[in-house]
Amino acid sequence: MKPVIDLALCKACNICVYICPKKCYSKGADISERGYFAAVVSAPENCYNHNREGKLICELCVLSCPDQAISWHPETEEERKK
Amino acid sequence: MDIFEFYRKEQWPHVFCPGCGIGTLMNCFYRAFDELGLTLDKTVFVGGIGCSSRVPLYINSDALHTTHGRAIAFATGLKLARPDLKVVVFTGDGDLGAIGGNHFINGCRRNVDMTVICINNNVYGMTGGQASITTPHNFLSTTTPFGSKEYPLDLSEIAVAAGANYVARWTTRHVHELTRSLKAAMQKKGFSFVEVVSQCPTNFGRRNKMADSTAMLEWFKDNSVRREKTRAAALDHVDLNIAGQITIGEFVDRNRECFEELIGVEKHG
Repeated sequence: MKPVIDLALCKACNICVYICPKKCYSKGADISERGYFAAVVSAPENCYNHNREGKLICELCVLSCPDQAISWHPETEEERKK
Repeated sequence: MDIFEFYRKEQWPHVFCPGCGIGTLMNCFYRAFDELGLTLDKTVFVGGIGCSSRVPLYINSDALHTTHGRAIAFATGLKLARPDLKVVVFTGDGDLGAIGGNHFINGCRRNVDMTVICINNNVYGMTGGQASITTPHNFLSTTTPFGSKEYPLDLSEIAVAAGANYVARWTTRHVHELTRSLKAAMQKKGFSFVEVVSQCPTNFGRRNKMADSTAMLEWFKDNSVRREKTRAAALDHVDLNIAGQITIGEFVDRNRECFEELIGVEKHG
């Protein structure tokens, strides 16, 4: 599974950038529609849950996100091979 | 249950400031509620006044929004009238400790079956950052521009002394431990109290050189000490104190008889 940030909810507090132990996130450079520099998932292949199904581990970003903007989505075939 | 079946999706994004710790607690609470398999129809959420007490209004369930500081008094009445419902109280440090301090102490003493979650952000965040009873010593706020010279009140130790059945304190940096404690608190029969030390970057951090919410999380990580260690080091009463120390962990876990059992409400309910 890979983390996906919902740009309609992110308020750019950058807690995910700070808390991720595998440095999957980075600060955003582009301004989102709601006027925030939303964080981006720059390296989803580093995540502990990369290619993992069923019960997920870590989940610090999903639990810490104050705006419920991060959720898990299944990967595409190309992303699996990374 | 999806997270936006538990919360009201149409109310999102919520009103809390960017980086506010209440959102983190909402994630942990949803996770705990979901893993216990409780139903929203059989649960009532009670809130007082303040940022933290807005949480019940976001949950897809019946909520009771009460007067300032009296959330526990209302929740006691609710629980005695309808013993079949599960009662969860969301409250803040000003609401629970300062304005409703006596209700809190007597709620612990009476030991009515409810779960109280106190989101302690060390300051009156909604009204503009006045010093509250939990502002640490020598920290700045709008009403204490040269540092708060008073010592903070330790809400969890008061709950232990007053007789609550389950007491725990965690910060928003310890999300997994917090989720586990919330689960234990909701399963516990009797008064269970979970204090969550949360970041307020807008009104507390900004005046104390921690304007970023990540700086506040770093502060929690560096200054939180497990309760077993503080007891061993004879530093038990140093809490959110000169050193800014935060004692975390499970404070007490016991099985005193609760009020409904003693007066026999449960049989009639």
